Amino acid sequence: MQPPALNMYDRFSEDCLMGLEAARETGVKIAGIYCIFAPVELIYAAGAVPIGLCGKKEAPISAAEEILPAALCPLIKSSFGYARTNSCPFFDASDFIVGETTCDGKKKMFELMAQMKPLHVMQLPYACSDTAALQYWYEEVLRFKAFLEDQTGQKIDDKELKKQISLANRIRLACQRLIALNMPGREPLKGMTLLAVMESKGFILDPETYLDQLDRMIDDLETSITASRPVFNKPRILLTGTPLGKGSEKVLQLIEDTGGIVVAMENCTGLKGIYNLVDETLPDLYMAIARRYLKTPCSCMTPNTGRFELLSRLIEDFDIHGVVDLSWQCCHTYHIESRSVETHIKQQINIPFINISTDYSESDIGQLTVRIEAFMELLYGHYHDSTGAKN
Amino acid sequence: MSEDHKNMWEDLGLALEPHDALLSVLGNAYKDIYLSQKERPQGMVYFDFVMSEVHGLRIRELLDEKAHGRKIIGSYCVFVPEEIALAANATLVGLCSGADFAEDDVETYLPGNTCALIKSAFGFKLGQVCPYVECSDMIVGENTCDGKKKAYETLGNLVSNLYVMDLPQMKSNDGKALLKAEYTRFKKAVEALTGVTIDAESLKKGIETVNNKRKAIHRLSRLRKANPAPISGLDALLANQVFFYDNPARFTESVNKICDELEQRIEKKKGVCPESTPRILISGCPMAVPNWKFPWLVESAGAVIVGEESCVGERGTRNLTDASGNTVDDLMDAIVDRYFKIDCAIFTPNPDRLNHIAEMAETYKADGVIHYGLQFCQPYAMESMPIEKALKAKNIPVLKIETDYSMEDVGQLKTRVEAFLELLK
Repeated sequence: MQPPALNMYDRFSEDCLMGLEAARETGVKIAGIYCIFAPVELIYAAGAVPIGLCGKKEAPISAAEEILPAALCPLIKSSFGYARTNSCPFFDASDFIVGETTCDGKKKMFELMAQMKPLHVMQLPYACSDTAALQYWYEEVLRFKAFLEDQTGQKIDDKELKKQISLANRIRLACQRLIALNMPGREPLKGMTLLAVMESKGFILDPETYLDQLDRMIDDLETSITASRPVFNKPRILLTGTPLGKGSEKVLQLIEDTGGIVVAMENCTGLKGIYNLVDETLPDLYMAIARRYLKTPCSCMTPNTGRFELLSRLIEDFDIHGVVDLSWQCCHTYHIESRSVETHIKQQINIPFINISTDYSESDIGQLTVRIEAFMELLYGHYHDSTGAKN
Repeated sequence: MSEDHKNMWEDLGLALEPHDALLSVLGNAYKDIYLSQKERPQGMVYFDFVMSEVHGLRIRELLDEKAHGRKIIGSYCVFVPEEIALAANATLVGLCSGADFAEDDVETYLPGNTCALIKSAFGFKLGQVCPYVECSDMIVGENTCDGKKKAYETLGNLVSNLYVMDLPQMKSNDGKALLKAEYTRFKKAVEALTGVTIDAESLKKGIETVNNKRKAIHRLSRLRKANPAPISGLDALLANQVFFYDNPARFTESVNKICDELEQRIEKKKGVCPESTPRILISGCPMAVPNWKFPWLVESAGAVIVGEESCVGERGTRNLTDASGNTVDDLMDAIVDRYFKIDCAIFTPNPDRLNHIAEMAETYKADGVIHYGLQFCQPYAMESMPIEKALKAKNIPVLKIETDYSMEDVGQLKTRVEAFLELLK
């Protein structure tokens, strides 16, 4: 049962689309984005609106495969397919596209997409702990600023940027407050229930209004679900790995259909970005932005120690019973990193772990159901003695 | 196989039984693929010898160098600057990654859909059959593609001396600055390893040594323009492969000797095949020793390969490093300039590569281009699409193939290659 406070997120992207048309008519530029490395504060400060583009459904993949190799991850193929077939209204509404060199597939896909729309690619250094890397990324942030100013015809001033930095931080803090509701002590919200809220972050027309609504919604939730319920009646799952959303939620759905509950998602749709804030005390706003984004624990970084730290923290804070690691097929970075994640979870934390490699199609649902059911059974065995009480 | 070698391998910690099995398979493959070729240049005898002793005498030499205090640096990629290694009195060698080994074991470390080259590097380490890895004092990884970048994290748990350098993905001024920072860091690491401080003189000498090696390969490449082709693609590939293993000065001399012989052949209009033989340019993923499968298939189907647009080939060797600078800083800049030009598919965008393929097709009078991709190598697979389109627009016939190191698809590949050659006639 979905708490009524969440109802407004059911049609969030559709509502956004309507607002988008109105905004465009007043001359606001739309920046199509694909990734949480895109510095949204800068985009808003330039007077543009960043919108997350479609890439989560199976339907356009066959159109993408007419051009792209089949051995690419479904997210890239879906994104490109949507763009190519003009079936993502947000892509159509975008004045320009922002890409990043997160992985080989995306990096090379953007070369082809650049023929469709003005497109700017930010290059990420992969050694995220290095000072040369930070300097390089800082230059990339400045280069992006210049691109934005060129596209919008508007200079980014520090006052506006400061305001947007603060707003984006407060949205991240609100998300932290929201997800804290799933910490032990109360009946957790299902992952499927929270998915729409998590995804709404990609469709923010006006950050101030969005933040207000989000805060009010969380206030409502806090009062409506205060009653403390029996803590363990379902395995509490941390879902980690590649991003997912409406249309590619099959693994999340299966976990919850087979008796588990995803209390936290360590992925780009979920919590990967929300614990890092831009340091508002640094005098150089662009350096502050560069620092914050370079800390994003994406598998494109090497070594990606931030992810292991985040996983450990989430497992403790959310009293996690088992970890499900999702790798989209042919996503080399997450898939290869999966082995290290498995070692980390099993050796450092010692809770059950499973890796699921799949794509957007429904063809393996039967097999996935069997594997996930078996995993849930294992968790029940792990945490319950014969009387059903938690060990 | 002498007892001496066995003792040496044992001391290096190689697994003797599987290693013997590997050498026996390689020896047979070499006989079937290389020694069965007709009209080979006599100078190839040297390379036959190098290959027969690639795990033997060459390792003995490296161990002798080590005994005299010289350090051995192993590398998997043409972005690792040999000039810097030589200037610090170290030897740079390529590490084994051209054959499947210990595949079941590898798949406990890497996903099945990792490219054959990366899996091979792991297989040789896990199976304890690569003497180069075992005698390296430092192993250098580099953040080229997703697969390698992440696999090095795992490899770092299997070896104690892995050093990883980051690489830029874009050819901008900032990208070059990043490469310079990384090469400076690498230089310091090599100096720390060897205890040798690199000065302008040693760096200049290092540059000259590597340039000479490249110049010899350039000379060989130029001679391959002749029709009839004076040397087979397989033999030329072998020279490009040995480039990564041999003593640089001796390699240079041996390649030049072959070139002398080829010049005489060309003068006499003598070749390894008739003038009417279809001439093929191969472009794409590198072929590390002993990955001879595809060129063998192409040449045994009645074509001759006249060029390799590959890291083990012209992409890796075509540019020289400017040795005219007089300070370490100038020379380091020249090294950065040189390596920054490499048109690897990890760069975005990478228009130079497309231009280079078209230019090579013309220079070497190729009748057709075959784009060679290793399965699951996304950067080259992605580039193959626009490349095919562009070459077709220039009326250059293109065949795109994707394969791995296994022999399972040989029949199917052969059919496709034969059909392509038919089309060229």
